[in-house]
Amino acid sequence: MDHFSQIAKQARNRLFWSLAVQNLLLLIIVFGLLNFTPLPVEIVVGIALTAGLLYAAGLAKAVTAYTLQPLKAIWELILHISPGPTNVASPDTNKLQLGRELVVNLAGQIYQLTDIANRTAVMTRQEGNDLGRNFVANNLPVPFLVLDGEENIIFANPVLSQYIGIPVAELIGKNVYMVMDMAFPSQDTFDTWLKNAKQKSATATGSWERVRLNVRDNHPTRLFDLATYYNRGNTEKNETMMVLFDHTKQYSQDDQAVSFIALSVHELRTPLTLLRGYIEVFEEELSTNNDPELINFMEKMSATAQQLTAFVNNILNVARVDDDQMQLKLQEESWPTVLEAALANLDLRAKVRGITLERTIAADLPTIGADRLSVTEVINNLIDNAIKYSNGTTNIKVESHLTKEGLVETTVQDFGLGISSSIMPNLFTKFYRDHRNRAQIGGTGLGLYLSKAIVTAHGGNMWVRSREGSGSTFGFTLQPFDKLAEAAKAQGDDEMIRGAHGWIKNHSLYRR
Amino acid sequence: MEPVAQTPSNTPLSQTQMPAAQPQTPVADTGRKVLCIEDEHFIAELYARALGKAGYTVNIFSDGVKGLAEAQTNEYDIILLDLMIPNLTGIEILQALRDPAKTVHLKAKIIITTNLEQREDVRAAIEKQADGYLVKAELTPRELATFVDTIK
Repeated sequence: MDHFSQIAKQARNRLFWSLAVQNLLLLIIVFGLLNFTPLPVEIVVGIALTAGLLYAAGLAKAVTAYTLQPLKAIWELILHISPGPTNVASPDTNKLQLGRELVVNLAGQIYQLTDIANRTAVMTRQEGNDLGRNFVANNLPVPFLVLDGEENIIFANPVLSQYIGIPVAELIGKNVYMVMDMAFPSQDTFDTWLKNAKQKSATATGSWERVRLNVRDNHPTRLFDLATYYNRGNTEKNETMMVLFDHTKQYSQDDQAVSFIALSVHELRTPLTLLRGYIEVFEEELSTNNDPELINFMEKMSATAQQLTAFVNNILNVARVDDDQMQLKLQEESWPTVLEAALANLDLRAKVRGITLERTIAADLPTIGADRLSVTEVINNLIDNAIKYSNGTTNIKVESHLTKEGLVETTVQDFGLGISSSIMPNLFTKFYRDHRNRAQIGGTGLGLYLSKAIVTAHGGNMWVRSREGSGSTFGFTLQPFDKLAEAAKAQGDDEMIRGAHGWIKNHSLYRR
Repeated sequence: MEPVAQTPSNTPLSQTQMPAAQPQTPVADTGRKVLCIEDEHFIAELYARALGKAGYTVNIFSDGVKGLAEAQTNEYDIILLDLMIPNLTGIEILQALRDPAKTVHLKAKIIITTNLEQREDVRAAIEKQADGYLVKAELTPRELATFVDTIK
């Protein structure tokens, strides 16, 4: 028999006997009063009714108290164990008249549940504090690490340790930027994301593709996608989680595409080297010859070979820009020297087209921060374009001066075809060429795209101003060395190395 | 890469001094010796000619192993080293020449001459070990000779 039927039976019996007693009492009262007192029937009935009602009232109270006993006991029990501020003693089950077994049984179960709950809570807290003992974290099959609010590593799983070739013990407590030298394909780096998240959000997620990890010593470079989760001020200090998804194989296969270009470039350069070599030999041999036509042909050949060399470099550099492989080393340079050297090389190319390069270079320019080879290519491209679009005009103006903002600005102006305003916005896009002239004027549409990327990487700007029919002016700015050096110092860069899309290194560590 | 037919790779190709028929110069002999390790025969020839005119004595080797042996045996002032050469790469030669266990006292300055594009980091590593790094297509033989003049 279960506890409920037992209680029901107990209560039923009690109620039955109470009612039986009531009826018996009423009978005794009525008979007794009628037979042994002179009281009239009405009075007797009245007394009996009153007694009956009083008894019923007492009975109702007793029955309620009696049947509610177990409920009350359980109520007290729950209040007793609940964690709130109530101060209720645990019920004494020995005093229970109804459903003692039920209450004892239930109490046992509740205590058991509470115990489990407590133990789980304790366990959870432990695991939270000590991820090292957490089964899931440890056995996650992808590299996983957790940072505290100071960006120090508080947990790293064995897979990560293996992935980056540093034992777990050497990772814990280290600043993440110290052990993980990550390079990102754009300015959107982990470091900027985290900073932003810390300022603005309670929680945030981030993801990146093609992150490059330069690992210490001989460990191979890793390429991976990165997913992160930030959770501010959580009690366990597990503020930032990072999961790495390795794609070294796929991404380095993509890098092979660059090697393919590099290889093609090699194959192009070898005959070019020879051509230029032999042209030079002929120039020397012909220098005693006074036939101006022959000399002119030689110059044209020489200029053409130079142009081809420049184009081969363009291909290579565009591939680098697209693959985020371009690295520029900015050094202190005298701009008039660099510009003049570049122009001297271009004079011949202009000359064979009957064009003179007219220079106006301000004398008081500050030294600039530039990657000499790359800015030379910018000049090459702008002059080559100007020559191409000169359309029979014979002058190209090159001008360089200091702007009001203190930047070194250089302009290349031609007086040829000009550019229609409708196509201006596309001018710096890869493979874009003015369609109207495509038939007459050769070119690939790589030059301006590349030039802009190079100038941007120098922290400068490139612009164009043009009117159809009266020529175009292309201009770009470069930063004075002092300014760059100052900015670099603030960034903690001792060497000014830049990618084509801006800063690529994760420099947070040094920035604090 | 096969050695060019008419020049067996084991013999120095030329010690080119240009004939005095040249009107504008032969420059006075600098007394400096150049070892050119380069398997593209035509390029080597052009370099030898230009350097010869600039007053250098030039020996050419088109094989990596033999080129290295020559660099270790005979004294040169300048070594022009191509990176893509048969039997030993230019980088291996560079390392061997910079390794005191393999090369005892190298007087020569090493200039890398290549048309191969390296990854930036690889190139930086090579540049660190060498005294100069040139892309061959970027300059004519005469410009190369002018550059060599600056390497002392």
